[in-house]
Amino acid sequence: MDWNALQLSAELAAWTLAVLLPLGILAGRWLALTRTRARPWLQALFALPLVLPPTVVGYYLLTLMGSRSTLGVLMDSLFDLSLAFSFPGLVLASIFVNLPFAILPVQRGFEAVSQELHDAAACCGMSRWQAFTRVELPLAWPGVLSAAVLTFGHTLGEFGVVLMVGGNIPGQTRTLSIAIFDRVQAFDPAAAGRMALLLLLISLVTVALGYGTLERRGKAGAGGN
Amino acid sequence: MLRVSLEHDAPPLALDLELPLGELSAIVGPSGGGKTSILRAMAGLLRTRRARVSLDGETWADTAQGVWQPARLRPLGFVGQNYALFPHLNAVENVAAALLHLPAATRRERALACLAAVGIAGLAERSPRALSGGQRQRVAMARAIAREPKLLLLDEPFSALDRSTRKRLHIELKRLQASLGVTVVLVTHDLDEAAQLSGHLCLLHHGRLLQQGPTHELLRRPTSVESARLLDFPNLCQARLSVSAGSSNILQWGEVNIGTSTAIEARPGASVPWTIRASDVFLVKAGHSDEARLGTIVTAQVAELIELGDSVLVSLSVENGGGETLRMRLRPGAVRRHDVSPGALVRVALHPEAVIPLIE
Amino acid sequence: MAKIDWRAAVLLQRFIVAIFFSACLFAGGVAQAAGGPLVAAAASLRFALEEIVDRYAGVTGSSVRLVFGSSGALVQQIENGAPFALFLSADSGYVERLVAGGYTEGTGTAYGQGALVLFTRLGLLSEPGEGLASLARATSTGQIKRLVIANPEYAPYGRAARAALRHAGLWTQVQPLLVVGANAGQAAHFALEGAVDAALLPLTLAKIPALTKAGNYVVLPAASHPGISLHQQIVVLRGAGADAYDFFVYLQSAEVQAIFSRHGVRAISG
Repeated sequence: MDWNALQLSAELAAWTLAVLLPLGILAGRWLALTRTRARPWLQALFALPLVLPPTVVGYYLLTLMGSRSTLGVLMDSLFDLSLAFSFPGLVLASIFVNLPFAILPVQRGFEAVSQELHDAAACCGMSRWQAFTRVELPLAWPGVLSAAVLTFGHTLGEFGVVLMVGGNIPGQTRTLSIAIFDRVQAFDPAAAGRMALLLLLISLVTVALGYGTLERRGKAGAGGN
Repeated sequence: MLRVSLEHDAPPLALDLELPLGELSAIVGPSGGGKTSILRAMAGLLRTRRARVSLDGETWADTAQGVWQPARLRPLGFVGQNYALFPHLNAVENVAAALLHLPAATRRERALACLAAVGIAGLAERSPRALSGGQRQRVAMARAIAREPKLLLLDEPFSALDRSTRKRLHIELKRLQASLGVTVVLVTHDLDEAAQLSGHLCLLHHGRLLQQGPTHELLRRPTSVESARLLDFPNLCQARLSVSAGSSNILQWGEVNIGTSTAIEARPGASVPWTIRASDVFLVKAGHSDEARLGTIVTAQVAELIELGDSVLVSLSVENGGGETLRMRLRPGAVRRHDVSPGALVRVALHPEAVIPLIE
Repeated sequence: MAKIDWRAAVLLQRFIVAIFFSACLFAGGVAQAAGGPLVAAAASLRFALEEIVDRYAGVTGSSVRLVFGSSGALVQQIENGAPFALFLSADSGYVERLVAGGYTEGTGTAYGQGALVLFTRLGLLSEPGEGLASLARATSTGQIKRLVIANPEYAPYGRAARAALRHAGLWTQVQPLLVVGANAGQAAHFALEGAVDAALLPLTLAKIPALTKAGNYVVLPAASHPGISLHQQIVVLRGAGADAYDFFVYLQSAEVQAIFSRHGVRAISG
């Protein structure tokens, strides 16, 4: 059991969530409220990582972040850090790959807040921030929770992009899913099986907790008018 | 004065309203005519192409001068068609949501007071799902008055309610308005409701203002054919201006000359539509003492009788008249006494004060 | 949306970027942390190196982190900035490329000679000892339905396999039967798990117990794959620390040579 790999997976999921959740809320809300004609294009853009094979995503990310790229050179000179094959690089890649999971459910959540409710909040004298925290967010939070659960679960299981962008560097980018693959290649199916089971259980529990919370709170409050 | 001038394309709007302060004014028109948009524009929820909204000298919006106060800064309360109660908050919390400028301690107190003012203090902890339509409407009202607004905007607030609840709430609204002295603008497609509640009435059609003025006057005197239709005047006839003499004009309807005391701004010979209330068409009894005082008297043949509730609508075909059917409203007793039956010939009087000339 | 929202959005974005960059600063410092130098090695050397690293830990108390892959893939990673300190390649060509690209310190050392074997499932060939000749016969009779090799584009053992098949005139014949592994290790894995009849693998992998239980192997002489030398090379990469050098030196010791030999990496001949 590669505890280091488990820790890396957890950290990757946590960092991705920490960055993507606020980002997803902002972007998802904006998409829900905007009337711009570019909306379908933007939605398609955010959904892109869903339809691209991880290898394609990995390839482009490596091109963008590798030591030969502009960004790579910048990071190297500023922070003495190579983005590719490093944990921060993984976080960046993970953020990109999880955009659809973080944005789209949030968008649905905010779309459920009708124009009438927005109007009512404004006529109650609420500032934009008050309306957001006291009306919109409490009503949209099932979408936000979905996004969090999906992002977390998806990051835990991410393989193709992690392998391409991170390599397989123990202690740095060898996440649990990579470690499983590594053990299989090392003719150690027993270890692989143990870690796979652990990953399965963690994912199952996370998703179950998420949907369970949604159901419980869904019965108690929220919903339409 | 509450002054509202709006120009917009979607939905099309072009109007100038002047509503008195401290009274309940109604904006009436068929559904889809843009009434909700007008209210939203007044509230600052909709930016129209051109707008000027001012209340008692305070300008809330003036596109020409680049003035625009967003809704949350305007001292108003808004009750939407579906009440828009926050579903995740209970009744008192909904009202308290309008009181965020107060410290938390006083908020609840004041919210409860508002709920009491609309008569549902006992339902404070209930969630909107557990409230009836009428109760929800009251919570929405309580929320709207919580901030002691100078203007209360109500968008068809009673349309989703059953008749008895509606009647009860009509009374409550009048009481509330009287006690708070707040200016109220009510939007509705129900003319009767508007007639009952408002002191000032605005007739709206396809985003244009047809007529505005004190309710009782407007109801009695439509100025245009469109207004007459909206105000449900069943008699719409076409005539020609024969003689124009200030308050004594003669309209030639077919071959009948009808006098009207309303001034007409047109040249003799011009086409003038006119109308008269069905209840103002007077059945002349045989042996009437002073027929001259009754106005223009014509002979008509009864075409059909329709019983509607406690009155009878009589369709008349006037001899030598302009051809349009004239409708008269009679009480069942009168119908029996004067033997008004299909085919019978009757004499009816059209008083000059009751004949209303219209603009096309 | 009003201007206020955009300001809030921008502020939030800046906040996130700030977090990210501070994380990078932190991570940058921690990058070369605990665990010892990072060694990239050809997949064929997995079992040999694992034993060597264990021995090294026992002798010196220092640890070494190993990452395996096909030599070609590892070279790509190195060129893209992967933080390896040492590279053990399954042939010399890749090392030359790294040297030419300036990614190395020094030009590397050859430490052994790899060998290609023909591995066949137990009981499949009547005379496996004849090497590619028996493969040719078995292919024409249809006994061999699948043949695994490492990827000839970027795995040295794959290239050797292709050269051998071409030399024996079998390359076109086996095309429909080929299963290609991303590296020699994956090829070995396919050979074990994949219901495969035959495989061309490195000697170092064919010797592992899992495979010896599953089939027979015969070593193919170097002449069977002309042009591919399979000279195993170690090179120190740019930016390597003292601990990497220590291990580099250790790898050239007699003790380690013996371990390599036992695993199938022989001394260089000629």
